[in-house]
Amino acid sequence: MSDVDAEEFKIVFTGPMGAGKTTAIAAISEVEPVNTEVENSDRVANAKESTTVGFDFGRITLADGSIVRLYGTPGQPRYRFMWDILGRGAAGVIILLDASEPGALVQLDVFVDAFLPHVVHGALVVGVGRTDLPDSQGTDAFAARLDARGIVAPVLSVDVRRRADVTMLVRTLVCILASHATHGAVA
Amino acid sequence: MKARPARVSRELARKVLEGYGEVAGVQCAVLFSADGFEIASHAADAAASARLAAIGSSLAALGTALSGEAGLGDFERTTIESDRGAVTIMRVGSSRSMSLAVVAGKDAVLGQLLWATQRCCQALGKLLDP
Repeated sequence: MSDVDAEEFKIVFTGPMGAGKTTAIAAISEVEPVNTEVENSDRVANAKESTTVGFDFGRITLADGSIVRLYGTPGQPRYRFMWDILGRGAAGVIILLDASEPGALVQLDVFVDAFLPHVVHGALVVGVGRTDLPDSQGTDAFAARLDARGIVAPVLSVDVRRRADVTMLVRTLVCILASHATHGAVA
Repeated sequence: MKARPARVSRELARKVLEGYGEVAGVQCAVLFSADGFEIASHAADAAASARLAAIGSSLAALGTALSGEAGLGDFERTTIESDRGAVTIMRVGSSRSMSLAVVAGKDAVLGQLLWATQRCCQALGKLLDP
């Protein structure tokens, strides 16, 4: 990725059901997002009313004129085939997690394993929501989990409904991509 | 219509799908909820029908997104043709909560497959979405 030429690239929002992928893309997209939400019929596993079964799609333009295509994945593991389709060709990945979910750290591993192989320079940012709830893990726990695996990636506390928070995730990812380009990281 | 019907309805739906045994070239059929759960199946093992249900629900949702984007109203059906056969995905009933996927080999006649599938979807719609 060049830091002078405006270009177009793709980033993927992923993470478990209910982490806020659809909401995050809707919060920042300049165009009306494409969404493929349907009624969730498994309220025992998750109380959410709707769930994404295809993908979300949105688009933003960066200050340098680059266009970022934003794709959101389904969160449920039976849509694993969509994870591979959407992961292919991604410049970077944003994993969204819900810190109040007891299995959030395990979910981090699941999505790192599924998506990191698709991303050339391992450009990854983790956004953690609901960190303010009493039983929630702090962002440190997620950073430590990545560190233990030798993965270097920023972990940010976010509210995906807030445009500024989601924009910060994307900016952070773009900075990582730009630094790879500038320092000529090993391909 | 409930997104996922009761066991007794699923049993009846399975009986309807058995009708595909008489349609030339049909290999299997899976009825699934919009969020990708199998409701009933014919001639597909559990693992295969679970995968067909998930992939079929994605295609139905993409079909809904595409027809909406084009201003063409609701998704009705889509057929994927390949070098060794075809898969048809058709909406069941008037709500968007279920679809049927039918896998057919090269020996199937596409017109017959679509006709049989339309009939089957009508029967399933009456049964599950009266």
